[in-house]
This record gives sequence, C-alpha cells and structure tokens, in this order.
Amino acid sequence: MAAVTIDSLLQNPTLVFRPKAKVLLKPPRSLDCSRNRKLPLSRGSCLCSFNPRRTIHVVRASSSETALIGNFDISSSDDILYKDIFPVKRIEKVEGKFFIRLDRSKDQHDWQLTVGCSLPGKWILHWGVSYLGDSGSEWDQPPKGMRPPGSIPIKDYAIETPLKKLSEGDIFHEVKIDFNPISEIAAIHFVLKDEETGAWYQHRGMDFKVPLVDYLEDDGNIVGAKRGFGVWSGALQQFSNVLLKSEASHADSQNNSIESKDSKNKNRCLEGFYEEQSIVKEVSVGNLVSVAVRKSPETGKVIVCLETDIPGDVVVHWGVCRDDAKIWEIPAAPYPPETTVFKNKALRTLLQPKATGNRSGALFTLDEEHFGFLFVLKLDENTWLKFKENDFYVPLLGTSSVPGQYGQSDSTSEEISSKSYTDGIINEIRNLVSGLSSEKSQKTKKKEVQESILQEIEQLAAEAYSIFRSSITTVPDEVVSETETTKPAVKISSGTGTGFEILCQGFNWESHKSGRWYMELKEKASEISSLGFTVIWLPPPTESVSPEGYMPKDLYNLNSRYGTIDELKELVKSLHEVGMKVLGDVVLNHRCAHFKNQNGVWNIFGGRLNWDDRAVVADDPHFQGRGNKSSGDNFHAAPNIDHSQEFVRKDLKEWLGWLREEIGYDGWRLDFVRGFWGGYVKDYFEASGPYFAVGEYWDSLSYTYGEMDHNQDSHRQRIVDWINATNGTAGAFDVTTKGILHSALERCEYWRLSDQKGKPPGVVGWWPSRAVTFIENHDTGSTQGHWRFPGGKEMQGYAYILTHPGTPAVFYDHIFSHHRSEIASLISVRNRNGIHCRSLVKIVKAERDVYAAIIDEKVAMKIGPGYYEPPSGSQRWSLALEGRDYKVWETS
Amino acid sequence: MEVSVIRSSSQAKISKTELGCRDLRFCFGKSNDKNKIFSRKPNSVCFDSQISRFRKAGLRFTLKAVHSDPILESKSPATSKSLDRLRLFVGLPLDAVSDGNSVNHARAIGAGLKALKLLGVEGVELPVWWGVVENEMGKYDWSGYLAVAEMVQKAGLKLHVSLCFHASSQPRIPLPKWVTKIGESQSSIFFADRSGQHYQQCLSLAVDDLAVLDGKTPVQVYQGFCESFKSTFSPFMGSTITGISMGLGPDGELRYPSHHKPAKSGTITGVGEFQCYDTNMLNLLKQYAEANGNPLWGLGGPHDAPTYDQAPNSNSFFKDHGGSWESPYGDFFLSWYSSELVSHGNRLLSLVSSIFGDTEVNVYGKVPLMHSWYKTRAHPSELTAGFYNTASRNGYEAVAEMFARNSCKIILPGMDLSDEHQPHDALSSPESLLAQIRTTCNKHRVEVAGQNLASGAPGGLEQIKKNMLGENPIDLFTYQRMGAHFFSPEHFPSFTEFVRSLSQPELHPDDLPSDEAEATESVQTSSDPNIHLQTA
Repeated sequence: MAAVTIDSLLQNPTLVFRPKAKVLLKPPRSLDCSRNRKLPLSRGSCLCSFNPRRTIHVVRASSSETALIGNFDISSSDDILYKDIFPVKRIEKVEGKFFIRLDRSKDQHDWQLTVGCSLPGKWILHWGVSYLGDSGSEWDQPPKGMRPPGSIPIKDYAIETPLKKLSEGDIFHEVKIDFNPISEIAAIHFVLKDEETGAWYQHRGMDFKVPLVDYLEDDGNIVGAKRGFGVWSGALQQFSNVLLKSEASHADSQNNSIESKDSKNKNRCLEGFYEEQSIVKEVSVGNLVSVAVRKSPETGKVIVCLETDIPGDVVVHWGVCRDDAKIWEIPAAPYPPETTVFKNKALRTLLQPKATGNRSGALFTLDEEHFGFLFVLKLDENTWLKFKENDFYVPLLGTSSVPGQYGQSDSTSEEISSKSYTDGIINEIRNLVSGLSSEKSQKTKKKEVQESILQEIEQLAAEAYSIFRSSITTVPDEVVSETETTKPAVKISSGTGTGFEILCQGFNWESHKSGRWYMELKEKASEISSLGFTVIWLPPPTESVSPEGYMPKDLYNLNSRYGTIDELKELVKSLHEVGMKVLGDVVLNHRCAHFKNQNGVWNIFGGRLNWDDRAVVADDPHFQGRGNKSSGDNFHAAPNIDHSQEFVRKDLKEWLGWLREEIGYDGWRLDFVRGFWGGYVKDYFEASGPYFAVGEYWDSLSYTYGEMDHNQDSHRQRIVDWINATNGTAGAFDVTTKGILHSALERCEYWRLSDQKGKPPGVVGWWPSRAVTFIENHDTGSTQGHWRFPGGKEMQGYAYILTHPGTPAVFYDHIFSHHRSEIASLISVRNRNGIHCRSLVKIVKAERDVYAAIIDEKVAMKIGPGYYEPPSGSQRWSLALEGRDYKVWETS
Repeated sequence: MEVSVIRSSSQAKISKTELGCRDLRFCFGKSNDKNKIFSRKPNSVCFDSQISRFRKAGLRFTLKAVHSDPILESKSPATSKSLDRLRLFVGLPLDAVSDGNSVNHARAIGAGLKALKLLGVEGVELPVWWGVVENEMGKYDWSGYLAVAEMVQKAGLKLHVSLCFHASSQPRIPLPKWVTKIGESQSSIFFADRSGQHYQQCLSLAVDDLAVLDGKTPVQVYQGFCESFKSTFSPFMGSTITGISMGLGPDGELRYPSHHKPAKSGTITGVGEFQCYDTNMLNLLKQYAEANGNPLWGLGGPHDAPTYDQAPNSNSFFKDHGGSWESPYGDFFLSWYSSELVSHGNRLLSLVSSIFGDTEVNVYGKVPLMHSWYKTRAHPSELTAGFYNTASRNGYEAVAEMFARNSCKIILPGMDLSDEHQPHDALSSPESLLAQIRTTCNKHRVEVAGQNLASGAPGGLEQIKKNMLGENPIDLFTYQRMGAHFFSPEHFPSFTEFVRSLSQPELHPDDLPSDEAEATESVQTSSDPNIHLQTA
C-alpha cells in the first residue's frame, strides 16, 4: 500500500475515489480555471483546452494618488495648453491559491485541519461543525477546545477565525484547527470570507465540508463502505488533490496488519490530505491617466502627451474631432510608433513603456486645427477603460474648453452615445463569438479575417440597434389613449388611506425656532398640495419639555413652540381646504411628569390627565413606576407610559378622539412605537378611527463586521411583526429600505436592492401596502443627522420610493430645496400612472452598479450609474424623467 | 475545484450555484436513465465502463458531471451532417415598408442584413402587406418592397416573402382603405362572433367566392395581387426569393379569429369563441344543416359555448365528460366549422400554388399552434380556431392532406414554447401539440418549417434548438423578428450564441455554465414575482 496508484484506487472498491478530470465540469465563466491541475485519467478525447488568459499583474494595493501625480513627468513649461489627470478604475483579477490540509498534529493524537490562502486580504474562516446524529445542514458551534485563539462566535452556530501569516515571510495566511477524531464531530464546515472586499468564497454556493463521519460511523464494521476523509458535497471531483498518506499512518497499518480488521480499517481511514485550489479575487484598482497638451514652438503643431501607470500592454484607441459633437475622425499622419488604423474610424496606438517606473505613454503630434482629442483605453479584448462611461476628451484649442469639462455625458450627442454603446456590445459579442472564430479558423480562414468579421458584426448590430431604438422612442404614438381604466374601488383603511397617498413630512428639526411654524406652513399649504401630496404630517402639537415637541407634558395643552392651538386649527383647516389630510404626531410611549414623588423622582402627572406613578412602567428604575412591566423597549429620557393600565388607555383614547374632533386631525404618526405593544395601537385606532396612520419602529439593521448584511429579513420581520400586532391598522416607516438604500447607493452595491426572492428587500417587499417608505426625517437628517441619507444621492432614493409600491414620504427639507422640481416630476409620474401602495414591482436588474424595475408594467425606472433601457417589447417606453444616476420611463 | 465569488452576485448566480451543486449520489445506480445518457453514443464506451467502476467505488457525482456529456456526444460526426441542411431565416420588421414606397429605417435594416449574413444566417423573411401595396383596387405599388428585395439580394441573403392579406394592430398596418370602406357599409365581409362583434383584421372565409369587393371575389383580388407580385419580382424568383407564404387568415394563419386578444400576461387564455355568426357563415351553416337533414341545427352556433376568456368548464359545450362537443350535434357543427376552414385553405393554396407552380419557390401556409387546453379532452382552443382535433380525433389529418394536395409546406409557429413555461392551470401543452402536428405532416409527407412566437420567451432559444436538432430535425426556421429588441444587448448576444450553437453543435466547455445560467433564468421567470400576490 505504500505507493498507491490512481488505477488501484479506481479498482479498489473500498476507497473513495475523487475524480479529478476537469472535463467533467464547466467552470463558471467568471472564474478562472487553475492550470496546475493534474489529470490522473488521461482521456485524450475529452481533454479540452482553455483559452490562455492575459497575464495577471500584481495588485497595487493602495496606490497613493498624490504620489503618482508627482511621478508623472508632465512638462511644466509655459506652453502647456491643457493638462489633466484622469483617475481610472479597473477590476483586476488576482489569482492565488488556497489550500485545505488535514493531517496529524505533532502529538500524533489529535488531528489538525489547516486552511490557508495566498492572496492578500483580510481572510476570515467562517466555520462550524456538525455533530453525529445531526440531521439537515445546520451548523453548530464547535467545542471551546477546538477554537483557535482569536475566534469570535457568531450567533450560536458559527465561529469566525482570522487567517494569519505565521511569519512575515510567509505567502500563506493560515488558520489551524485542532480536533480530536474520537469526538462527536461529524464534519467541519466552512466558507472563506475576505473582509476587505466582503466577498465570500464558497464551494459553489455551499460550504466546504470536511466530513469525519464515515470513519466514525462505520468504525471497522462495514467492509466496502466508503471511508476516509474527503472534502465532498460536490467538491470532490474537482480536487486536484494528492493523497498524502502520512508516514505515521503507514507505519501503523503495517504494524497492525496482523491485528483485527477493525483497527486496520480504522487506521486506513486516518488519511490526511492536502488540497490546493486556485482562487480568484476581483480587486478594483485605481490608476491614473495623465494628459498634457502643448504646442511645439518649432513646428506649430500640437503635441498630446499621454501617460499612464496601468501595467501591461495598453492600447490607446483614439481619434480627433472638429467640434463639440465629438465625432471621431482620423487625423493626418504621422502617428506614433505601433499605431494601426482601426476600421477607418479610429487609430490604435500601443503605449510604449517608459524608461523609468512602470509607466507607459505616447506622444501624439497633431495639426493645429483639431478641436479635441478623443480616446479610450483598451487593456485587452474584453477590457476597455472609459471616462465615466464615455470617451476621454481632451480639448486641444486652449481657449475653447475649460479643463474638467471633458466627457460630460449630458451634452454628448447621439453619435457618441451609440459609439459608447457600440464598444459595450463589442465586448459582449466578442466573448460569445470568439470561440467560433478560433474553431473555424482551422478550417477556413485566417484568424485575422475572422476577427474583422466579428468586429463587423458587432458594429453592425450596434448600429442597427441604435437606429431601431431611437425610432421607437421618437415615433409619436397614435391616439390610442385607452379610456382611463376605472380606478379600483377606493377602500379606505387606516393602514393605507386610499392606497394612493403620498406623504409630506411638514417640518424639520428647526421648525420650532420661529415660534410661528403653523402660520408659515399655512402659507405653503396650496403649494405643497399642488406638488401632488395628499397627506401631511405635522409636528407634535402638545406642550413639551423639549422645544421640538417629543417630550410631551400636558397632552391637552396644544400651545407649543410651533404656534397656538388656534393657529393649529387654522392650519389644519387650510390644509383641508387644499385637499390634504393631516397627521398629528402623537407621542404615546412616554410623558414628562409635572411633579416629583416622595423620593424626588419625577413621575406624578398634572393637567387634565393627572395620572400618578401607576401610569408609569415598573421596569425603568429611573422613574420608579408602579405600573406593569413595559410591553416594549424603554425610552430612557422620560417616564414610559404603562399602556396595560385600563385607565391610561381610556384616557389616551379620549385624548385622540378629542384631537380628531377639536383640531381636525385625520390620522396619526406614532412616535417610538417600539416602546409598547402594537395591540394597544390597534385599540387606540379603533377608538379614534384615523384615515391614515403610521408608526415609527426604528431599530438597527444587521451588520457583520461593520458591513451591512444583504439579508435584512430579521429587521423587516420586526417591523412587520409590529404592523401585524396592530392588526394592519397602521403602516410603519420602512426603515429597512432606507438602510439598504444607504448601502446600495453609498457603496455602489445596487444588487442589495433585490432580496433572495427577487423582491424589494425592505418592508415594501413583504407588506407593501403597510410600508411607508422614506429616505430622511427630522431625526435621521435635518440638523440632527443621526443617520443621514448618502449626500448627493437623495434623488436616486426618491426615484426609488416614488416609483415603488408602499406609501412614499418626502421630507420637508428635500421638498424645499433644489430637488423640488425633480421630486414634483416623480410624484406626477406616480400619480399619472396610478402607482399605488400595492403596485406590483418587477425587478429586472439588480447588479453592482445598476438597479432597474418595472412597476405595474407602466413605469420603468433605474438607479445607479450602470446601463439600463427598458425592453422594447409590446410596450413603448418613453423617458419621463432623468437625473443624476437615475431614469424613469413610462409607457406611452 | 472551483470557488464561487458570491459578493457581487446577483440572485441568479446564487441560485445557479445551488442548482449546480446537487449531490448526485442517488442518480447512480438508482436512476437508470441517467446512465443511459452516458451510454447512448457508441464512442463513449470507454467512459461508460469507467462509470461502472465509479459506481463500484461508491462514487458521489455531481449533477454537473451530466453536463459534460454533450462534449463526448458531439464527437459523433453524424449530428453535424444533418445540420448542413439547416437554414435559418430572420424576420424583418413588420413595418419594414409601411407606406408603399419607402423603406423604414433602411439603414438599420441594411446593417442588420450584413450582420446576419456574416453570422451565417441563410436569409430573411419579409412581410408584404396587402394594405400597403394595393392602395387602390387593382393598382399595386411594389417599390418599397422591391427596394428591400434588392437590399437582401445585395447582402447575399435569401428572401422568404409572406403575403399578408390581414391587418396588423402593432405596428398599425390596416387593410387597404378601399376594403375598409366596403366593410363600413357591408360589415358581413368580416367574421362575427356570437354577440355580433366583427373582427375587422381580415375578411371572412365565407366571402371567398362572393363578389363583395366591387364586383370581384376576394379570391380574384388575391389572385391579382399574387400575379402582380410574381411578375414584378420575377428577376428575384428562385434566386433571391426562395419561399412564399400565403396569408390564410388572422395573422396570416389558417384559423378563425377565435381569440381576439392575446391573454394578458399572468392570466390564462380562455377558450375563445366560434366565429360563425356573420350572415354569410350562417348561410353556409344553414345550407349544410338542411343538406344533412337537420335544418334546426343550422340556425346558429352552439348555445352552450363559453365566451372568449372563460375556461372550458364554465359552460357545457367543452366539458371533459358529457360536453355537447361529443353529441351528434357537436360533431355536426364541428365537422362543418372545421371543413369550412380547410376548404378556405384549399382555395387559397391551390390558387397560389398554381400561380407559383412554374417557379422554383416553395409555397408555404401557416398553421397556428393553439396549445391552450390541449390537455383537456375537447381541446376547446383548437375547436374554436377551426381544428376539429380532440382526444379522440386527429383534426390535422384533413389539414395536412390539404397541404399535401397542393404541394405546399407548413409553417408552424411556437417552436420556442415549452410545456414547463406554460401556466400550470392552462392545461396547455405546446410540445405535445407540435409533436402531433409534425407526426401528422410526416405521414402526409408535408414538410414543416418552424417559427418562434416571440423572441425572449423564457428558455425559447433552447427550445428552438431542441426542435431543430432533435430526432426529427426542422430544416428551415424563421426567427422572429428583427427590431430594437433583436439587436439589444439583452438579446443579440444570446442570439449570436444560438446561431453559433446551431452551426456548431460541438460545445466549447466554457459554454455550459451559460446554458446553466439560462436554465436558472427560466427558473426565475417561472417564479415571477408578479404571479405571487403581494400581501396587502
């Protein structure tokens, strides 16, 4: 048994065979195939070749921009007409190895599992075990003794242990897990995580599994059963493993050969193994392209000097233009060395390496008359670098252009955009057709001919597409305006209003300052209504310890920093006149006391509702309440009201009824509803019959190591649970959606906007009619800014919530800002198309840089910098609205 | 082993990997058909023997291993040979010519033609509209279509012309104005349903031989049109133009307009309605009933048929058991209704085959794929459309026989439809119906050409491929249809790959993951969020 050949492995039915022929499987396109694989079965007919890849360059982990700028030797002479440095980002694939090794630890009793990875990164092993007798695929936490130092338990089922370099010189980050094979552990499961990028490395969507169970289960009993350690659950046939039979185990088996079969089997099972895999990590790398334009005093020609620190062969695909339309032309010769003409449309020049540093560049000498210099960079057949989705543009006439204006996509002409589209489709098609070319070339034509044919197909398809597409959007539609379908019978429920509500938050954190907010708002009533809002949420009206109103004291005293009770009534009246419903902001969770008790604690109330300490929950020691325990979380700044007390509820119902009658409020915005059971809310609403109501259930989303989890189901579940407790009589602010929008927009991770089931990931995906979507309020934004929406991306947020189901709420500060007209247009698109809180949303794209959805088959939208156009099927889409990184279409 | 990067994963990727990862232990040794996959081709014998050894070794295998099979299979030279015959056409936009003398988006079509030629597509299909060409009775303006034919010829492609004697609503191409005008005063030239509503997109088959068009019969008018076409396009005949399909009814298909509107997405197609209520149809029915000695049966269509959107069981005519369709009356009515359709087809096809008989072009007619409710006994959708095809009667015999008689070939649409993508409750089976019609056609030696219903149906390209390359391969397929979507980045790359896979069935191993992705995609569409009701 010393030298085990593959053949004998195959024929020996008692051994596990791990087939290694990679021809059996298809690596996903996105991954690289390792080439260090051994093929133990040589089946020539099945062998397939893999296209060689571009050489991978070492990642420049953090290239300091300033340092690089300094490096560029842009001539600083006076005749410089223009110079600029363009940052470019490219995704580089870094290849490395990662291995799994199982062997005996030094003391020969325990075993050790080692996982290592050679790629740079903050690697974490996320792992757990399963025990004998466990069914299903659940993980358990391993026993304490098994956890290497530095491990962190995650919930009750997993451990995270960082991989470390044993010493500075090591290539591999490693983690070692010691375990005793006699234990009850059936298998070790793990996935690898790179904290740096947040990427998870799994085994095709599943965890890696190192089973120990076979050995334990049939410990010497069943001959012919599979046994031995192996990594399986699909992984096995891919392993390019080398079975390393540890010397010790050989020795054992020889020594014990006369002994019982049991022990022999047992020993034979104790096979260590070593598996090595290639691993590919996508790293976004920043590079710089510097361009300087100067005039040669001798020849009068313009010289464009282009340099970059992008490693490898870089081809500049370039041309010049005569005017602002930026139509590509080929200038007259001479061209720099290594230049070819590409299809009479552009030139291609291979940048020459510079003597110093790892940079390359070229000098382009051009006649004076040219207006601008256009270029894109081509790294390989599939990788093009552009400037913000567009061509790089360098003005050549010093006076005509202000540096920094290059490539502003708004003003680019049709030609340019189709050109940039062309480049995109080229890559896609080339990916698909390149196989064809390589195959056929053997039979018929030379590769170059094929290549040009493929390029031609691409160009033609792109051209045809751009024409067909433009004709679709410009053809005016015949008068097919379908008779307005009768709106669904309006059923008003306090959770949803009519279902077509759009909410305006009518104040911010500063609104109390003037002392006459009610009057100020009254002047804006018709304006707000004309924007399309149907409901307005007013600030908390009661006397309050804090000026903003959220520390109420005497509930029946409605003279506040926002104005007097009479002004409030006047405001409500004028809001009603312009057709808006009014929500009162009611604070039911807590109430500030008027008097101290005998211990000097503030817990005795005054005014019309002169409750004593029985109205205060018992479980907050600060306020020494004598009521029951709180039915929710506590708000620690004031006595929390005990809603379980009959008299409290009776008083509150009376109060809400009074507000409805006396002031004319139509509904409620409930503050801090985490503080008490939703069932009470239902009680209050049934008594006060609001037209619309929404609760603020705000708690934190789930994060792992500072990164928001993709799956926020538990977060939205808590909100939905609360809505459920109110029996659906109230909606709730969709905090989940806000949180996910934060991550998606801030980090360009638009894929987050689709949950595992392809639905919106917030409350709006689960219970749209009860979700009140918002992106900002007086707490998160305004002058408090507890959790401010990513700056500059507000309109993307509104493009999302105002086109999606749920009831959208718009914050006052955004309405009265430069966003106003865009918000108004979004609202009118929503109203025009009858989007309501139950509209159906179909997510059509949720990718890294773009999210797109079609709502009720009437409105299409996209947010993010990526490309999306609605499908041109039976419906005709016309662009309704466009802004920074968002577009909205409607069917025409 | 491979490592999936999940970070930037869309949902698709996740589900893809999960799909790919089933442990196939159970397949080996238990499910025999899996093993058959491996042993089907003789040249995979060596592999086969290994398999058995694998089994002995208690091997666990993943699903992916099965995917590798096509590589082995494709080594067989037999498959590629049959493919040389295969010709792929692509439909030009319906409104390539819409006002007689100019070509719409000619530049785009020009570019598209070149691209298709380079891809290795055989030719294009061009819809030629009655309403565009014959704006005045007997006066034909072919200039726009001639221009297209020249473009096609120049591009080195073949041309298949579809003569359309119907109107289109999207894009809007009406019947000739003078016909519409006649229809305004004489609505009986159109089909009518039970409620008296007229279908104005084509003429009723009952007026074929009635002189309703300013003293001429529709058949005479069609004849004039076809003859003018033949003489005008004679330079192209047989060289560039290799096929002509004759418009036979609504959407050019041989059928009654029993389904006015396609069902909205997410809803299930109803059974449709019989279209025998225009005065001329009623006259024919009356004569037929009297000739059969049952004059009372000739007063109208079945009283107990459901309406357009209803399900078969909502009234008694189509009921699976004891429905009136099985009664003597039902047989009487359905025999008449379907034979009228076949006679109509015969009139037009004999006309067109006599006109083009002396040329080298092939003549086609299109037969619809009325696949909804195919799994019921009555096949209501087919019955209302005019095909007396039920669980107990093959209604396509008469149709195929009629095509054979006129030496015409059949175009069958819907080759992109697969059963698994049909709504479960629709009891529909496009695949079985397609198989039935094709078997019947084989029997009568009628050649079948394929067409897809729509580009972008889930799993459509895969299904087409299956139909084209299966045991009974189709040698001509027309892919519908060129336009913005066709060339869009969402579609064109997959089409390119499709064309490539047809001409080159040897799959590069890199392709398979993308096949898988497609499969995943369809899985996802079948769980279309729209179908689930959102809680509200």
